[in-house]
This record gives sequence, structure tokens and C-alpha cells, in this order.
Amino acid sequence: MKKSASSKAEFFVKDRELVLPGQALAKGSLKPDKGVYVDEEGVVRSYMVGLVEISNERVGVIPLRGGYVPKAGDLVIARIEKMSQRIIFADINSYCKAIMIVPRPEPRRGGRRHSLLAKYEALAPGDVVLAKIMSYDGVSNPLLSIKGEGLGKLVGGSLIMIEPSKVPRALGKRQSMLQVLKQKAKCDIIIAQNGIVWINSNDPKVIGAIEKALRKIERESHLSGLTERIGQLLDSLLGRKS
Amino acid sequence: MNSIFTEEKPEILIQEDGTRIDGRKPDEMRPISIEVGVLRKANGSAYLEWGGNRVLAAVYGPREVHPRHLALPDRALIRCRYNMAPFSTEERKRPGPDRRSIELSKVIREALLPAVFVERFPNTSIDIFVEILRSDAGTRIAGITAASLALADAGIPLRGLVSGCTVGKVGDWLVLDVGHEEDMWGDADIPLAMIMETKEITLLQSDGTLTPEEFREALDLAIKGCTYVYELQKEALRRPYIAVEKEVKGEE
Repeated sequence: MKKSASSKAEFFVKDRELVLPGQALAKGSLKPDKGVYVDEEGVVRSYMVGLVEISNERVGVIPLRGGYVPKAGDLVIARIEKMSQRIIFADINSYCKAIMIVPRPEPRRGGRRHSLLAKYEALAPGDVVLAKIMSYDGVSNPLLSIKGEGLGKLVGGSLIMIEPSKVPRALGKRQSMLQVLKQKAKCDIIIAQNGIVWINSNDPKVIGAIEKALRKIERESHLSGLTERIGQLLDSLLGRKS
Repeated sequence: MNSIFTEEKPEILIQEDGTRIDGRKPDEMRPISIEVGVLRKANGSAYLEWGGNRVLAAVYGPREVHPRHLALPDRALIRCRYNMAPFSTEERKRPGPDRRSIELSKVIREALLPAVFVERFPNTSIDIFVEILRSDAGTRIAGITAASLALADAGIPLRGLVSGCTVGKVGDWLVLDVGHEEDMWGDADIPLAMIMETKEITLLQSDGTLTPEEFREALDLAIKGCTYVYELQKEALRRPYIAVEKEVKGEE
């Protein structure tokens, strides 16, 4: 099986090149990654506007446009919409609503479960929560959970929406971009996969600066050296004090 | 152009040397300019000027289907609305859907459908709006060209961009990209749309009479036109990114 991987792959594009829908990327024995499809002749083609990513016989395209597609394991910031006894509906800035299932009360089973139930019971429509997508099969509604440390209602702070396709860039490689944002702003920031950013600050100057930085990331997401430029931008906006 | 009061058939639509009524050569296109991402609230959009045509295309989605019962459990529902503005024609166009725009909505939808990976978004809808602000022959093809860019701009998975072009027959000549007078008084009119990358034809209509040989020749000519349109489409999609790149490099 592994023999087929012994390279006979032919690339038509360079790594990090801007590609368009339908553009031929490569041919031969390769593993198609996200954002590509293989046509009848075995040519790997991009299916969206994005940047090519080539690594170890893999070709993929990182999208530059597009809405949020839920994925199990993603951290999202959701807004509670409707609540019933057992089910909570939440808006996750996607094409479908997410649901949360309130655990059944199990009295006298230690404090932990109780505290989780209390967490759910404290929610009200309109609340903004940090939650994790537990499962999504593409057909029924994605299932959310606020079980876990740090998850649950977000109190205070400000929210900024960015394009969901730009989230990987806003986080940076190994969260390098997020680190820069946090350091310069000197406050906690959460960038959720669905394109909603929570800034734990009430200082309009900080919020304004972060928003400017995020807009710059959105605009220049297809270019390299962005982390550095964002650092410089925030320094000039917030004043160099470190 | 010929009469101040009513439009009349011009005496000569095409000269003996192949010069057309608007001065073009038989295989010459009208000027086209495209801009992508012109509407802020839509997920994707494009504005197209093609000769005298002015077309605005917007795409919303994937999003929840309303009314709910129309949702398809295994794929996205694609809806398309082609609409002509009341001020788009010489006489005021009575607003609202009519026989023609309902048909064109269907035709545009079906020309774009093969390009979209609909099975990726079950239970959702992708809504395409094509607004004709000014019409000047070949609006369906202009609509398809603009809408396919709007789809790409919305980040919807596509097998490739759909490009369109028309070919007409005027007298003994086959002409590329039919103009207004040729559309009105020409002998035949063939709109064609195709996914250039995979060479799939998604729309082919024919109005008028052609011999089989003429038809084959017309098809080749139309594909040539589509290739030209496709290059412009690609350039338009890339332009905003290149502009930002230049700007950033200029700063450094």
C-alpha cells in the first residue's frame, strides 16, 4: 500500500499560492486534503478561493472565503436562543442552529455533576457562552457542551465578529498571533472557530486596537509576515509599554 | 439608433467585409469588466459590465431554508432569482416576475448547479440573486458569469467557475457575443455556458436556424468566447488579493 506513495506526483502550483475554484493543483499519487477534489482524470483541483498547502504528499487548500462549517471538537462562541427543560438552542454563526442537552439531575452523586447542571441552569436566552462542539454528522444539529474548564457563560468583555475563514490566521501557527494580541492588549482574548472573538476588556482603546488588528488580519490573511505587522500596529496604537 | 421614435431594423446588420453594426469584427467581444465582492451584506457578490449590460449578482448561503419544508435532507437547495430592474430596458419594464424572468431564473440555476458541491450542505439553501440593472442582449450569460463569481466569493465549494458566451448568426456570418441589434434582427442566437476547467457544458440553447456545420462552428466560436471570459473572471477574483499584496509591499 505504501509503495503508491513513492512520489510520482506532479505539482502545477507552488506552496502558499493563491488558487481559484477548479484550478488544477497536482496529479499523481497524493493525498487530497481539505479544500480539494479529484476529478475523473485523477487531477487534484481546488474547490474554492484559497491558498495551497503542500506537505508530505498532501495537497490542500486553506479557504480565504466562506462561512463557518461546524466540526466536532471546535471551540465556538454561541448565543443562547431558545430554552426548554432539556434542550437549549444556540446560534453558532453558521447555517444551522446548535443544540445543548441539559443533563438530568442526579441527586447525591457527588458535587461535580451538580455543578455542571447548575452551569446549565444559570443560562438564559441571550447569554453568550463558550462551548465545545461534541458531535456533528452534517445532517442533524451539532451538539454543544459547556462541560469542561473555562467553558460556559462569558461574563463581561466585548465581542467582535471576524470572517470564520480567517480564524486560522487570527490564531496563527501554534497560536502565535493570538499570543501577540494577548500580550499587546494585556487582556484575555478568545478566538472561537466560528469567527467570534471575545475580549475580556472594557477599555475602548484596547478594544478598538484589537478590532483594527483583526480587520488587518482579515484583509491581509493571504500574505506572509503578518504576525510581525500586527505587532507593530498594536505597538503604535497602544503605545510601546513593555 | 435608426429612428428617433421607434427602433427599426437597420438595413445592413453586417457589412460584406464582416464589420458588424457596432463596428466589431465577427469574432470580437464587447468590452467586459468585472468586480468581485461589491456587496457587504451578501456572502458573495459580483458586479459585471458586459457591453451595455450591467449585472449585479449576490449569493446568500449556505443558510437555513425558508420555508422549512423545501429543505432537502441530502443536499443544499439552490434557488435563483433573475430580475430585471424597471429601468433596465428602453420601455419601463413592469416590475415583478414574468414568464421570461421565471424561465431565465431556471436556466441560470441549472447552468450553475453542476458546478456546486451541493451534497456538502444538506438541509440548507444557497440563494442566488441576479439583478439586471441595464440590459443589452445576452443578459442570461452575463448573469451566469457574474453569479458564478459571486458563488466563488461566498466560499461555496465549486468544481470550477462557470463562464458564458453567445454566438449568433447574422446573414452568412457567425458572430461572437451577440449585440442588441443582432439579437433583435439576427438569424440565430446560441447562448452557451461551461465549466472551463472540466470542459463541461452546462447551458446550451439555440434560437433560430443553423445548418449542422454552422452549429459546430458556432460551438467552437462560443467556446473561444468562454475561454476569454474565463480569463477575465480569474483576474477579477484574484484582483482584490493582489491589490492588498501590492499595498502591503509598498509600505515596507
